[in-house]
Amino acid sequence: MGADTSDLSLVRRVQRGDKGAFDALVLKYQHKLVKLVMRYVRNAAEAEDIAQEAFIKAYRALPQFRGDSAFYTWLYRIAINTAKNAVVSRDRSPIEYNLDRSNSEESYEMQGRMKDAETPEGLVLTDEIRSTVNAAIDALPEDLRTAIVLRELEGLSYEEIAAAMDCPVGTVRSRIFRAREAIDRRLREVFEGGLGRAEELG
Amino acid sequence: MNEELDSQLSAMFDDELPPGECELLARRLSRDEQLKARWGRYAVMGAVIRAERGLRLNAPLAGRVSAVLLTEPELGAAAALPGPHGRVRWWQPLAATAVAAGVAAVAIVWLRAQSPLAGAVLTSHLTPPPAVPASVTVATASAAGPDSYTVPRPPKLAPMPVPSTELANYVVAHSMFSSPVARRNLLSAFMTSESGTAGAEEVQDEARGQAH
Repeated sequence: MGADTSDLSLVRRVQRGDKGAFDALVLKYQHKLVKLVMRYVRNAAEAEDIAQEAFIKAYRALPQFRGDSAFYTWLYRIAINTAKNAVVSRDRSPIEYNLDRSNSEESYEMQGRMKDAETPEGLVLTDEIRSTVNAAIDALPEDLRTAIVLRELEGLSYEEIAAAMDCPVGTVRSRIFRAREAIDRRLREVFEGGLGRAEELG
Repeated sequence: MNEELDSQLSAMFDDELPPGECELLARRLSRDEQLKARWGRYAVMGAVIRAERGLRLNAPLAGRVSAVLLTEPELGAAAALPGPHGRVRWWQPLAATAVAAGVAAVAIVWLRAQSPLAGAVLTSHLTPPPAVPASVTVATASAAGPDSYTVPRPPKLAPMPVPSTELANYVVAHSMFSSPVARRNLLSAFMTSESGTAGAEEVQDEARGQAH
């Protein structure tokens, strides 16, 4: 298993015109990318906007991606450049807050962004997701919990985890899958219920 | 959902699925919304385990990117259409012709230098063959006396229809429109016939000299 095999499979599909494969890449890397961009901007909503721009730039540049480096490394560079440009651009044209222009277009946009980022519902959902995942991990049997934590937190390969846990690679694969299944059963309920509540509010 | 499929999805998420299975699953993942949602939740689990603070785990970023991309052309189609990426610039055919002509010219010069017939013709001028038949020379040498060597006369080639220089120039000038194999065959035919003609002309000159 070469590193980046799955990303490369998805990238090749996008290059052949399959936009759906790009969704999978966005879903996989959106959190990492937003986290990365948040080193440059403090606001989560602004970081999401920059990450969105970076993903779109990456999509447009994908025909030039040859796979010489890992997809995430390439995406990472695009995101860093986009974030730096955004910061420079913002510093050159600072936003002037004019309280008298409460009905202006900018003001509506700003309000919308604030609302989008910081609604109590959004914060509650994020907290709920976090506590659900943590509770599900705590409830896992020891061998499953160790396997998933070594994978996600330490970034070890299946082979390295197998060596650490003194078991075959196939067992590691099975343990990580079963851990994810157990967490997902609980997470799915939160997502479905949470999104439903968000729609009710909207 | 199929447990084996979900197990593959989990392994693919970790880049631990064999490439062949990856190809198949990537195809399915790009179309199956349920599978894609599960894939997205795997990413959320990872973010929580890594304790990535400050993130909105329910952020609709993927949906927003997907909505923007709806207006974008598909990459495969964009490459096929003439546009900023797929456009053929005006100088490209000229440059290709120039390169092809240069390569052909170098090949002609090199082949002329390498041609064994050209060397043989030159040698036959320097050491004219004896008047006796070749069989007699061989018998004498084997019976007594020192070993000697007579440069063999170049084979007398029948005059061939010679492709004109214009034809060769035409082939070189239009080489970008012909297949490499056909081009090579034509050029080598031209070179062979040119060398052969040169040899034949020399033989004719020699015959005329002997008659005088």
